[in-house]
Order: sequence, then C-alpha cells, then structure tokens
Amino acid sequence: MAWNRLTPAGRVLAVLLPVLAIGGALTTALLVAFGGAIAATIGANLPIVRFLVASVVTFLISVPVAFLLIYMEMKIIALMNLRIGPDRIGPAGAVMSVVHGLKVLMKEDYTPPSVDVPVFTLAPVVVYLASFMTLLVIPFAPELTSMGFELGLLYFFAIGGLSVVGLMMAGWSSFNKYSLLGGIRAAAQAISYEIPLTLSVVGIVILTGTLSLPKIVAAQDGSFLDWFIFRQPLAAIIFFIAITAEANRTPFDNAEADQEIVAGFATEYSGMRFGFFFFAEYVNVFIVSALFSAVFLGGSNPPIHINLNPQILINLSALGIGLPLIAGIAPVLGTLLFAAPIWFASSRVKGWQALVAGFLIFGGVSTAAVGIWAFVMLPPVASLIWFLIKTFTLVFTFVWMRGTLPRARIDQLMGFAWKWLLPASLLNIFATAFAVLIAGR
Amino acid sequence: MDRRLAALLQEKFGERLLTPVRQRYDESEIRVALADATDTLRTLHDDPALRFEMLIDLCGVDTGEEMQVVYHLSSSTSGDWLRVIVPGLDRTAPRIASATFMWPGAEWMEREAYDMFGIIFEGNRDLRRIYMPDDYRSFPLRKDFYLADDASRSPAAGVRNMERAGTPADATAATVLRKSPGV
Amino acid sequence: MTQQMRPSLDDPRVAIPAESTWYEPAPIPQTERQAEFLTLREGEMFVNMGPQHPSTHGVLRVIIKVNGEKVVDLDPVLGYLHRGVEKLCENADYHQAICYTDPLEYVASLFCEAAPVAAFEKLMDVEVPLRAQYIRVLTMELNRIASHTLFQGWMALDLGGITPILWAFIERDEIVDMLAALTGQKLLYNYYRIGGVNGDLNHEFMSRLGTWMSRAAAQIDSNLALINENEIFVRRTRGLGVLDAKTALKMGVTGPNLRASGVPYDLRRDRPYLVYPELEFDVPTRDEGDSLARYLVRMDEIKQSIRIIDQVLHEMPDGPVMAKLPRLLRPRPGRAFGAVEGPRGVYGTYAISDGTDQPFRLRIHDPSFVHLQLVGPLTKGNLIADTMAVMASLDPVMGGVDK
Repeated sequence: MAWNRLTPAGRVLAVLLPVLAIGGALTTALLVAFGGAIAATIGANLPIVRFLVASVVTFLISVPVAFLLIYMEMKIIALMNLRIGPDRIGPAGAVMSVVHGLKVLMKEDYTPPSVDVPVFTLAPVVVYLASFMTLLVIPFAPELTSMGFELGLLYFFAIGGLSVVGLMMAGWSSFNKYSLLGGIRAAAQAISYEIPLTLSVVGIVILTGTLSLPKIVAAQDGSFLDWFIFRQPLAAIIFFIAITAEANRTPFDNAEADQEIVAGFATEYSGMRFGFFFFAEYVNVFIVSALFSAVFLGGSNPPIHINLNPQILINLSALGIGLPLIAGIAPVLGTLLFAAPIWFASSRVKGWQALVAGFLIFGGVSTAAVGIWAFVMLPPVASLIWFLIKTFTLVFTFVWMRGTLPRARIDQLMGFAWKWLLPASLLNIFATAFAVLIAGR
Repeated sequence: MDRRLAALLQEKFGERLLTPVRQRYDESEIRVALADATDTLRTLHDDPALRFEMLIDLCGVDTGEEMQVVYHLSSSTSGDWLRVIVPGLDRTAPRIASATFMWPGAEWMEREAYDMFGIIFEGNRDLRRIYMPDDYRSFPLRKDFYLADDASRSPAAGVRNMERAGTPADATAATVLRKSPGV
Repeated sequence: MTQQMRPSLDDPRVAIPAESTWYEPAPIPQTERQAEFLTLREGEMFVNMGPQHPSTHGVLRVIIKVNGEKVVDLDPVLGYLHRGVEKLCENADYHQAICYTDPLEYVASLFCEAAPVAAFEKLMDVEVPLRAQYIRVLTMELNRIASHTLFQGWMALDLGGITPILWAFIERDEIVDMLAALTGQKLLYNYYRIGGVNGDLNHEFMSRLGTWMSRAAAQIDSNLALINENEIFVRRTRGLGVLDAKTALKMGVTGPNLRASGVPYDLRRDRPYLVYPELEFDVPTRDEGDSLARYLVRMDEIKQSIRIIDQVLHEMPDGPVMAKLPRLLRPRPGRAFGAVEGPRGVYGTYAISDGTDQPFRLRIHDPSFVHLQLVGPLTKGNLIADTMAVMASLDPVMGGVDK
C-alpha cells in the first residue's frame, strides 16, 4: 500500500481531502434542503444568534488580550527596572506570554489532598467567567458592541462583583491559611470598593439619564471638553482608584501580596487553574481600562472632530477590467519610483539593493495610505482605534503604577475607601444633582 | 588603658574579685565568683560612676574542667569596655542566674549558651534549644563533643557517633580532648 | 478498639492509621514562654511563615499567632542555616578560622573578617601597617554602602515595591565587582589577614573606584528619590515598630537600629579602631525609633561612608600592607575581644588562645541575632503586613543569625 510511503503531511492530506469533499457535499446538500429554514430561524431569533456569536468572539478575544497585556507588563516593568525583560522568543520577546500560556497548560494540575474538590475546581472558572462576561457590554465602537442593552453599567457592576465569589471560593476551599487570608482580604476589599465605584458614576447617570454604555459614550460626542473626565473630575478620580482596587492591582493588590501571604487565594493552585486566575487578572485590567475610557474618556469619540470631507471617492466597479491592471502595475511603478532616488544617491548601492529598499518603502507607504484611508473613511475603524488608544494608555498607567508604587496596608486601604472615597462620591452625587437642578440639564 | 576604671572597679568590688583587674589594649577584665555574679552585674549596670548599660555579648566557655560564662559590657556614655568572667560552673550540671532580669536581650544569647553548652540559666523564661532541633540530646560546643574528624586522633579507639544521646551528667564520662585550665 | 486504616497518599499500597490526619501533633511546651505562646484563645490561629517564604530574608521561620489580620504573638524559629562555625573554628588554625567566619554575613562579609582579625591581632600583639589600616577602612566602608543599598531595595521589596531593589543592585553590583577586582571574590572576600591585608590596591580597583566615586552620590540620591518621599512608603513605616532608647539598650541593640532610637553609639567613634580617629565623619541619629527612622539612618550612613572613602583616598600613605609575622602563629595564652561597627551593628569576636596554633574558643557575636529578638515585641498588635516592614527595617541576615 502506498500509505506507508507517504510523509506525515501526505497522510494528513490523504485523510483530509476525502473528508472535506464528502463533508462539503453533505453540507451543500443540507443547505440546499434546509437552508431556507435555517435562514428563517436565524432571522426570527436574530438577537439570540447575535448574542451567541458575540459571546464566542468575546471569549476568543479575551485570551489574546491577556497575552498582550502580560507581555506589556513584563516588558514595561523590565524597562522601568533597567532590565531587558523577555527578549528570546519572538521579536523582542513578544511571544513570551504565549509560551507562558503553553507552560501553564502543560504543567501538572495538582489538587492538594485536603481541599474541597468541587469548590476548588470551580473557583477559577467562576473568576474567569465573571471577568470575561463583562466584556460583553464594552462599547468598542458604536457598531461594535456585543450587548448594547439599556442596563449595561449595572450589568457590569453586577457581574464584575461576581469575581469576588470566585476568590472567596478559592480562598476557602484551599485548606490553607494564606489562601483564607487572601480570600477574605479580596472579599473585604472588593465589597468596600464596590460602593464608591458604583456611587461615583451616579453623577454621570444623572447627567445622561441612562445606564446604557453606548448612550453614555454618545453623550460625550463632540470635543474632548465634553468628556466626563472634565465634567466630573472628582468622579473620575474616585472611579480610577476604585477600579484599581477592583482589579487587584498595585498598590491595592493585598489579596495576593506575595511578601505577606505568599500568593493569597492562588497559593494552592497550579497549572491551568492558576492560569485562569492569572488570565482573569489581566483581562480584568483590560476591562476596567476599557470601562474607564468608555465612561470618562469619551470611549470611541475622537478628541476633536476634524471634518476632512474626503473627496477621493473612486468608484472601483467603474474601472472594470482596469482594476486588475492597476493592481498589477502599481507595485512595479511604485517600487521603481522609490528605488530610483536610492539608486541615484550613492554609487555603492547595488541595483537589487535599491529595488528591495524601494519595494519595502512602497509597501510601507501604501499600507500606511490604506490605513489612513480606512481610518478616515470607515467610522468603526477610527472609533475602534481611538478606543484602543485610550484603553491601552490606561493599561500602561496600571503597569506604571505597578512598577512604581509599594503596596498599601490593608487597614489603610479599607480606611481610605470608607473614610474618603465614600463621602467624596456622595458629595459628587449631591453636587451634580444640585447643578442639574439649578441649571436644568 | 584607663587606670581610673581599674581603680574604680578595685574600689567597688574589692574582695569580690577573684583576680586583680586586668587591662590589655582597650579591654578591662574582672573575674567574680558564681555567687556574686548577679550582684556584680547589677552594680555595674546601675552605679552612676560605672554605667555599663549595654550587654554586647554573653557566651559560655568550656575549659575542659569547668564552665565559664563571659559577659562583655559596654558603656554608652563613657565608651569603656569590660569583660566579666564568671568561672567555676560545674561541668556536670552548669547552672547560673540569668541576666534577663536586667537585659531582656540576653534571652536568646542564653538560649544559645544552653543549646551549645547545656548551661542552665535560672530565671530565663524561654530556655530551650535555639539552633539545634528540639529532640537533640547533646551539646555541640562542649570539649567532649567529637567532630567526625576527631575520631582519627581520638585517644579512645574506634568511632563515636557524632550525635550521641546523653545528658550533661553522663557526658562527663567522655574523654575531654583539649583542656585549658588556665583560661 | 480497632484502628481505622486508609491508604497512604504517597503510596496507595501502604496503609496508615486514619487518625493521623494532616494536622501535626501540637508540640509539647518546654518553657513558660512557649506554653504561653502555644495557648490559642478564641479567634486566634497560627500562621507559619517560612522557612520557604518570599519575604523572610534567608531561611527564617516565623510562627505568627494571628487574630484575623492582627499579630498577637510571634515566635521566630532559627537554626535552618546553622553550620557550627564556632566549633569549626576551634578545629582550624588562626588563618583558616577567618575563612570560616567570612560567610557568616554574606551581605557584608568583610566585617565578619575584620572582627576575628582584630581579636587575633590583639592576641598576638601585631601592629598593622598604616597603609593596611587605610585599606581596611576603605574596603569596609565600600562594603557598608553595598549592604545599605541592598537594604534599601529589600525594604522596598518587602513593602511591595519591585523597582527599588533592581535600582539598588546597580550600586551594589558595581561595588561588588570592584571588590572582586581587588580580592578575587565577589561575595566572600577572604581579604584580611592577621597583620594586614592580602594584597595592595590594584589598578583595576582604583580605576573602578574613581569612576564610581564620581557619580556615586548623585546615583544614590536618585535611588533614594524613588521611595523616600513616597506617600505609601512613609505611611507604612512611620510610627511603626517604635523602639525607645531605654528598651533598645536593654535589648542589646547596636548599630543603626540603636542610632535610630536616639542613642549616638558608634564603635568607630566610641571605641576607635584602625584609623577611624583620624577621619572626619558624623554619626547620624534620629529620635523616632520607628521603621522609617531606621531606614533613614542607614541612608544617611551611606553619605557618611562616601565621605570617609573620600578622605581615605586622599590621606592613604605608601608602605607595606602586611606586617612581618612567623608562618605558624602560636599566640600566648590569653583572651581578646575584637569588635567592629558593621552595617547592622557591633560584630564581636571573643577569642581564647591556649598557646596552640588553634583558637581554644572563638565566640562570634552577630548583631542580627540580637535584633531578630525584637521582631516579636515590636510587631505585637500590628498587622501581618507590618511584620514584614519591621523585620525588613531591622535588617537581619540569616547567615549571621544562624552561624
């Protein structure tokens, strides 16, 4: 049989091709037979399908986001510490965090003998679910919101608060005093900071009259002076401090203070279960940054609306057969255009070197041109880019704080929440309501 | 060399001193009997002319024939240094009054002397092993404790176990390798 | 009554009594103090920190009795690093003994050499050449700076800040490399000899020292600026673990910890050794006696050390660096106590000679050992997190504590 002489890749192809052919044929047949019915079902239940698709996509993007943030943190803190940081795997060590992810996948997932097994196993799942479910209401762009429903902000606080349950479960079930202390610290801290966190946005709710995040973002449309960080500065400060505590970040990372209680609630966890906690922490950082930029930094609104009124509206279909011709000729012409000055500039540059450089420059210039064009022409892209710029600025701030600040003590932390943040947020609500009453919106 | 200090010590303690005050470099040294130790230390600490308020060091010494406890005192006001040697502790059951009544910081140093020599400090609230495990039986710094290497040059033939179960009482039955009665 | 058996977790084929749960049997109290410590009241529990714990410097084990977050009592357990150095020294000759005392305090090991060398020189009536004395002062002050910069980083790390320790290591690495160029070792220098030092200053050391001295003050200031004014750092250390002067004297505290309590006691000034009387320096003190004061006193000492190094470099004479001594050292019977002011306090060595070539008894007094006693009294009633802040500010090194 020829099977034995095939290379592994050949064997894969030999298996896959018939399967794909048969599967394709069957799918086609099914679609022909029931396509109408499926389309009708989808059409009838559009919100449900949209929700399912959105959840899957959200879940899928949460992992790369965590990888990106872990890499960012490793590299930025390394630079602040005058170290090099990861530099081996991938360009400038960029794949390092993916390898970390693979590492936690492959490590032994050890369950200590005296833990409460069901609770111990469920805890990381609860923590991870709670953090990625809040991604659903983040308004990345006006057209890119998974669930733009009316109670988005409330949903966010409700689901975000669930992660404490997971941390308590982990702390309690681990049969470890460090874990217990960590879990209790996490619970106390989260409950205390939930209150100023929620109260600080009440002022904005008064101003906008809605809890829907897309509508809050829309209310900040205009110049950057319309952002709520300028209209509600006190609320912004309270909110920022409270989300730092909510996301368990330095200086409020008491729940996993490694100098005091080893790793807090995660002490007994290893392998992928620890990985869940770890990922959840970074997804949380991304989410709270995204929420801050949505609520206070105008979300996907640009700081200043510049109306360029682009007139470069080429009707591509009007070109007909000319389009492929242009697509074929443009790179050649562009390469020559950029290569010529390099070739003429110095006699030491060989012809092929000039051509390669010209091609690279053309590639860069055309990509940038297309990018700018997309930025200008497609509102969702521009909005998304603005949103991500704001979010990652905040993520950088969190990393920066981690590299700079020591940890606050637990009693100072709690005292700060109850004695300062809570009265300040109440004052903010009062002042906002008073202003609204006087000025009448 | 502070002659004033020597004269003062001679005057204060007089007949209590077992040997005359010895002074060498910047150290003065007195020897007092076991019974006078506590009184002497208290006088040294409290007397306004002496004021040796700092206990720099407390250690045990095994001369092979007897045990000693040595205190190094310093005065934070005059900068004088004094060594107080209390000789004549019985090797089989060394006992001495604790210095923790005056220097609470002596607690661990006494624990160390107990751990290493088996000297019992009466009045120390926490006299237990500090370096060695709780179930350890012998006292490593005594001169009859053999290192593994000593077996080859031991007067007694054969190899002794390094960690020999024993109490101070039956420890004396072992051969003392090195004696220095003059210390 | 038949005993319940269950399979062992390590080997399921082995059956062990089911009563032997995960809990260790409670230890039998041996002393009054231990009995008091082991009695748990309502709401209290023991938390065992160490010997493997991220913030116990070295292998210290601390049993903390907590009530919630509050530390009720605390009992350090030592001995995990005990090497029996004193016994080893009794079986080594006088030169070898220096190698044994060297690794006691691996952070500032030149001081652990200087103390026994001082004692042996008194035993043998050796006059150290003047240049060797200056070299000792120079290297010791460098080592003091290295130790204090590391302390700064550790202190910040124990409070949760990760950057200062890596900044502090820049200075420490430079000093360590410098000393390695001089002595051939990076950590355990083994540089001092009875009657002098091992070798004269070499070119690499001097050029490195010159480069470093030209930027040291500014660099150290920038390191200090990282945390000195940090609100969180100051709030976590000010008024914490207050040690008053009277208690400090009674507890036998020496060094920066004593000076932070307001007692200006410095061996370099109060019991001068080597060429310190000829050098000009201040003894920084503070009156507060809290963790912040202990930290700031050390930071002030760094500046004084730089000042001393500057003077030493200007005043160092030429000449031999080693006294003429017989190869085999047999001091007359006698006793001597050598002490130096180290970065943590008074390092003392009590040496007894019986006329042979080996010390009859070599007692080593390490200040960290005394200071570690204070962790209990100073942290009682504070929070778990404060234990770390107090312990870090006392700056114990377990190599010296455990001997």
